[in-house]
Formats: sequence, C-alpha cells, structure tokens
Amino acid sequence: MKKLLAVLLVLVFVPAAYASDPDIVKNAKAEGQVAFYANMTAIQPIMDVFNAESGLDGKYTRISTSKFLPTVLTEFQAGKLMADVLQAPLPVMQMLKAKGVLAPYTSPVAADYPDWTRKDDQIQTFGIEYVGLIYNKELVKPADVPKRYQDLTDPKWKDKIVMANPATHATTIAWLIGLKENVFASEAEWMKFVEGLAANRPMLVKSFGPTPAPVESGEKAIAISMPKYIITKAPAPLDWARVEQPLLGTPRGIAVSSSAKNPNAAKLFVDFWLSKQAMSKLSAEVGEYVLAPGVFPPIDGMDKAKVIPIRTMSDEEIRKWGGTFKKLF
Amino acid sequence: MAHKRSVLTPTLIVIVGFLTVCPVVMLVFGSFSTGLGAFGEFTLDKYVQAYADPELTGIIANTIIFVLGSSMVATALALLLAYLNTRTDIPFKFLFRIISIIPMMIPHILFSVSWVLLLNPSNGLINLMLRQIPGFEDIAINIYSLPGMILVEGLLDLPIAYLILAPALASFDIALEESSKVCGSTTLRTLFRVTLPVLRPAILAAFILSLVRSLASFAVPSVIGMPGRIYVLATHIYQSIATGFAADFGKAAAIGMSVLATSITLIYIYRYLTSASEKYVTISSRGYRPTVIELKGAKYPLFGVVGLLSAVLIVLPVLVLFYTSLVPYSMIPSAKAFSMMSWKHWIEVINDPISLLSLKNSVFLGVVGATLGVTLSIFVAYAIVKIRSHASGILESFSFLSFSFPGIVIGVGFMWFFVRTPLYATIWALLIGYIATYLPYGVRPLTSAFIQVHSHLEESSLVCGASAFTTMRRIVIPLLIPGIVSGWILMATMFVRELTLSVVLSRPGTEVLAVQIFRFSEDGLWGQLSALGIMMIFISTALVLLATFIGIKFKPLEEGG
Repeated sequence: MKKLLAVLLVLVFVPAAYASDPDIVKNAKAEGQVAFYANMTAIQPIMDVFNAESGLDGKYTRISTSKFLPTVLTEFQAGKLMADVLQAPLPVMQMLKAKGVLAPYTSPVAADYPDWTRKDDQIQTFGIEYVGLIYNKELVKPADVPKRYQDLTDPKWKDKIVMANPATHATTIAWLIGLKENVFASEAEWMKFVEGLAANRPMLVKSFGPTPAPVESGEKAIAISMPKYIITKAPAPLDWARVEQPLLGTPRGIAVSSSAKNPNAAKLFVDFWLSKQAMSKLSAEVGEYVLAPGVFPPIDGMDKAKVIPIRTMSDEEIRKWGGTFKKLF
Repeated sequence: MAHKRSVLTPTLIVIVGFLTVCPVVMLVFGSFSTGLGAFGEFTLDKYVQAYADPELTGIIANTIIFVLGSSMVATALALLLAYLNTRTDIPFKFLFRIISIIPMMIPHILFSVSWVLLLNPSNGLINLMLRQIPGFEDIAINIYSLPGMILVEGLLDLPIAYLILAPALASFDIALEESSKVCGSTTLRTLFRVTLPVLRPAILAAFILSLVRSLASFAVPSVIGMPGRIYVLATHIYQSIATGFAADFGKAAAIGMSVLATSITLIYIYRYLTSASEKYVTISSRGYRPTVIELKGAKYPLFGVVGLLSAVLIVLPVLVLFYTSLVPYSMIPSAKAFSMMSWKHWIEVINDPISLLSLKNSVFLGVVGATLGVTLSIFVAYAIVKIRSHASGILESFSFLSFSFPGIVIGVGFMWFFVRTPLYATIWALLIGYIATYLPYGVRPLTSAFIQVHSHLEESSLVCGASAFTTMRRIVIPLLIPGIVSGWILMATMFVRELTLSVVLSRPGTEVLAVQIFRFSEDGLWGQLSALGIMMIFISTALVLLATFIGIKFKPLEEGG
C-alpha cells in the first residue's frame, strides 16, 4: 500500500514540483536508486526529502575537495564510478568534464537561473562558496568593523585575524586573486593590501573549517571565512562585515555522470536539487549562497549583498600564487 | 619442525606482502607517472619537483626535531608509567593504565584542538589561570611552537610506547635484579645497570614505533604547527596535494618515499641493535615470576607526582573535550558559558541517521579486525624473533610498509589498489586496509614479548612429544598474553577511530565513525566532534576492559606466581 501511494505521489507531484520530463520520471522510478558524490555539508536532509517525495533510494557520499578528483578519476578509469550525480567546485567539475566523466544535461528547472550559470551544456552552476569577513560581535565595536577589505591592513588587527593558509588553500588563493581582478583599482593597490594583511600576522589554518572557532572563543577577533557559519554556529556571537565592495566566491557545480548506472534517476535528482524547495533548504539550514532566483540565506543583509563568482583558474596559476603568498605571509 | 619453520616465513611474506606492498607499489607507480592516477607515462618530474624544493632543508630540520622530541617524550613518560604500574605497589594502578591509553582512543585532531584551547597564547585556559598569579600577568605560553608540537605528539604516541613497554616490564625476571642487589647495588643503580639495559629491545621498539608514527602524523602538524608557521614533512606533503584542485598524490608519494626509506632504515638499525636477542630473554625454563617492588615512603609522593602529571597532560584535555561538547559554541569557561550548557550536540550526534550504522561498523572492525590482526601478528612476530633469517628481516620491513607512509597518502594507495579488486567499496576493504596499515601495532608488542621467551621452553615441549601447534597453544601463547592484550588494545582502539583510510574507502553502507569525525571537523563543528570523541572513549574503554579481563582469565602463570 505504501509503495502504491509513493508511486501515485511521484506521478502526481514530482513532475509538477520540479518540472521534470515525464519520461525521465517514469524511467527513474524503474531504476529505483541514485548515487550522489558531493563535497558539501548537510546534504542528508535534502536526500531525505528527495527520497520521500520521489520514492527512489538516493544515497550520498561526501568526499573532501582535495580527494574529490583523485577518487572520481580512479573509479572512472577503472570503470567503477559509483556516482550517478557529481557536485563539486566549478574548477573540479571542469576538470572532470575534460576527462569525459560528465554527460550533457540541461535541466528545465534551471531555466530561470541567471544566464551565466547555464552556459555549459554539462555543468549547471547552482551556488557560490562565498567568502566574507566574520567577526566576534562581543569583541569588535560596531565602529571598528571593516567597511572595506583594505581596513584589514590597519595595525589594530595585528594578531587578531585568522584565515585559511594562503600558501595552500585553493579557495583562499582564488579569493585573493579575485579581489585583484574584481575589487582593487590596480595591482599595486592590491599588493599593498596583501602585504598589509600579511604584516598583521594572521593565524593560518588548514582550511575554512577551523576558521570560526578561534573567533567564537575570542582567541582571534575576525576571520576571512564564510558567512554561512553565522547560521551553522548559532548562537555564537558572529556577524559579517558588510563591506562596500562585493563578496567573492568559487562557483559550485552539479552534473550527471557519463557512466551513470541510473541516468534517469540522475536527471531527476539534478532537477530536484535545482528546485526552489531544495535550494531553500540548503540556504536556510546551512547558510549556502544559492543561485535559485529569490532564495537567500537567512543572514541579515545578505539579500542585498553583491556576490560575484571568481573566474576558474588553472592549478598552475593557483600554485604560482600560493608560492608568492607563502613568501609574504 | 625445521621444514615448517622454513615454510612459515615465506608464507607470511606472501600474506603480509599482499596486504602492505600492493598499495605502496601503486604509490610507487603513481610517483613515476604523469597525470593524477597510478598509471601514466613514465616521468621523473615528480621527484625532481619534490626534492629540488629549496625549503626542504628547513622542513627536514624541523621534522627531525619534532619526531625525535616527541618520541623521547612518549618513551620516557611511557617507561615511567609502565614501570610504576607493573613493577611497584603504587595505588590506583588500573586508573593509570586507562589514563596512559586514553590518547589512543581520541581522534588526534580533537586532542590537538583541546590543547589549543588550553595553551593558545591569546586566551588559552592555562595561560588565563597563570595570569591570575602576581608576576605572571603577561605570560603567554605558546602552543603554536615546536615544543608545543612535541608535547602534544609525545602524549598522542604515549599509548603506543606504553603498550609495548608494559608487557616487557610485566614479564621481567626478578632474579636479574636480585643478583644485582646481592652484589651490593642500590635500587637506582640496579634500575640503570640491569633493568633498563635488559629492556633495551622493548624501549627501542617503543621509541622507533613512536618515531615512525610521528613522522606520518598529520593532526599535530596541521592544527598546532601550521598556525605557528612551523612546517614538517607531513604538512609539506599536504601542501603539495592541496594547493590547487587537482591533488597530485603521485608527487606526495614521491616525498613520502623518503619517509618510507627512513622508516625501513630505522627498522634495520633496530634489528642490528637487538641482534643478540639471547641477552634479553627474561622468561626461561628456570622459573618466571614478575614481582612487585615496594615503594615504601616514596609511594604517596610518587603517586602525587604521577597523578598530577596525568591530570594535567591527559585528564585536563579530556575534560576540555567534555566541556566543549556541552557548550553551544567554542567559548572560554564563564558564568554565561555554564548557563548555556546543554546536551544538544550529544543529541544531534545520536540522532544522526548514519550514526547507528557507523557505530556498528566501527565496533565490528575494531573487534574482528583486531582479533584477525593480532592472530597474524603472532605468526609474524614469531618469524621475526625466532627465525632470525634474512627473509624474516624482509618480513619485518614489509610489516612496516603501509604504516610508515604518511597517512594522507596511504589511503589513496589503498584506493588505487582496491579499485582493481571486487573488494572496492565493501567493509572488507576497510578491514584489510586497517590490518595492513596498523600491523606494527600488533607485531611490535608481540615481538618484544617473544624476545623474552626462551626457546628452551618450546624445545622442552617438543621433546616431550607435543606438536608445534600444541606448543604454541599451551606454552608460548600463555606467556605472550600481556603482549597479545597490548596488541589487541592498540589495534582495536585504532580501528574504532581510524580516519585516513576510512575517508577514502568508506561508501554508503560501509560508513564508520570516522565519516562523522571527518564531516564535523571539515565543518568546524567542534561541539558535535567532542561529543563523538567522548563516545569513542567510552567504546574504546569497554574494549580495553574486555581485552584486559580476557587477558587476566587466560594468564594462569602470572596469577600462580
């Protein structure tokens, strides 16, 4: 009886909810399952909704960014890629595309997404891993909160900043380069900012993950980090500096695998993932910045922020700048 | 018997070789291949890039200080604790035994974070407390330093050293010490001239295992070293992998090869230093009775010193973890913090849908993995100690292969290997990977235990008509019980918290506790991570109690005196 109900639900609601092709829905049901590889956090609640609504058995594996490409390529080359759908930072997705791991799919659900997110026939961009300045409200007076990125070079921040290591952390390296290309008027002005930041001796940690804890505990006052921690770390006394310049971040992409064992279920999952329902959940529960129109994380002021994507850089370029930053920091 | 012995070593070489050589061979291929996989066009570029790095000299210098320092801290502390626990009448022995093993039960990243909360120069709890003392207002002890790294890594390696030294001390022949005393030596002189020299193989084994472990360690160098801008080989390797989106594990393996070469050299040095193994036999056919030294007047002062040391070094960080698991976010203790305490993080961890499955899988891997691992280790240790041939030297090196490789690289080696087998993405891949990587945890305690058992005991049994199997079961294994218990505890607690292989090999259905650890640490959710860490301490403590209880039950010799 339950199964029958689930089938009826799928037939009645799924096409309406995320406007999937009815053939895809029918074939997906026959496939019965879908495997998803992602590098993001808190995906399980979204999987639960998908499973309940579609009647399929969706399973996800979380793989860290640094192991994403080696894992997927190893499985793909051995003919054992277990994922039907892949989600990762855009540069990783583009490398996977170059290796033939992805299949073409244009989701009808993405029709109202910004044009720039739909330029690729295989990868759909759905979010931006946005970087901002988060600070401890109890330690930093409102007047002292940076209004521009350049304010971080003020000597008053000496030994009070924490950031991911700009010698190694690809997203932070890309963010610094993004500032050069999108925010600062000249390279000289940008270099002055980088040198000033380094002169304040920020504490360097492995990635964004360990950046909020020292700010919450008061060990440091401000972090170059992700505003989403204001949601995931609540009720920690965190807020973000509403700088007058735009926020930057690496785009996140999703695509169907070219060797998907469940290609229709994969497409149905991508449609669901891009739906307002799933994107709202991602945004509300873990503070992600998503590109579904009108959906914003519940962080005060974020709906008015200008968040722009950083262009994709080659690993050679990232390593070269990583070397430069290592000497400076 | 001679035939059986001659067959044993090659058979073991095949088994252990299969377990440990395959992933390393994959990494060797990867280090000589273009591209990101294990097989590509031949190139030397990765070695050239890895070793032409001008910063390598400084990094190697840091690494040497770090590994030597932490191994010395671990071995010295372990020796002190093991001596007091097994040879003296110090009170609350069982408590000290558990305390010595606790760092083995916690994810290392969590223990390191705990020390950061205690000793960071800005608002570390110990610094804050010291600043209350007149004259110390400006004190800022900095954990983000080489001494800080040495201290924390030393504590993390303490259980390894302890579990190797304790069985050796437990089976020490009192006659050697009595002879020394009869000849007029003081207790202290006896300790330094008789006890410690006889224990040389165990001390060296503990020291070398700590060296190899700290060389491969990543948690302390990343959590404590990186903020202080102190880089060692492990963080250097991470840098070569992590900078950019296409992680080149082949290049990381190229750097790892020098770590591997160092470890194998150390094993051979160890073999050379303990080559005259007859000198270290303490359980012979002439009666064996480990005895207890009365501390008399020194009993309570020593208890106070060791108690304080344990409290500050191990209990305090665990209390910090417990505290972190109760407060909503990272905050220093205050009235506000205490008013906000709740079980929220614990409930979240328990309600996690994959928690139950991963708990079940981890306990299964801990119990079954450690049992199989120790069984294999008994044979390997026997071949290494009792059949000291060239082949047994190869076997000993093989047993260290996967273990010596930096953790962040070896997982990928196993993935490259398992993906070519039907085992990929099954729980068996994890089981085999765990045993292969952590085989020294079983082999080392058993090797030092075997060294102390005189071959006369086996020969007497064989002369009396017992088969080799009966001799092993009736004579040798009962004498090895302390070593078996140590090896089992080391392996089981390691498997319950194992991270590096698990994050690469775990898939839906084969989730283990490490999957949660990884998720929480990547997201910086220290509250949930701490709650999970404490749960792991409980699980591991239960396993330790189980092993100890079974050990006592099967140890009639020691009981009977």
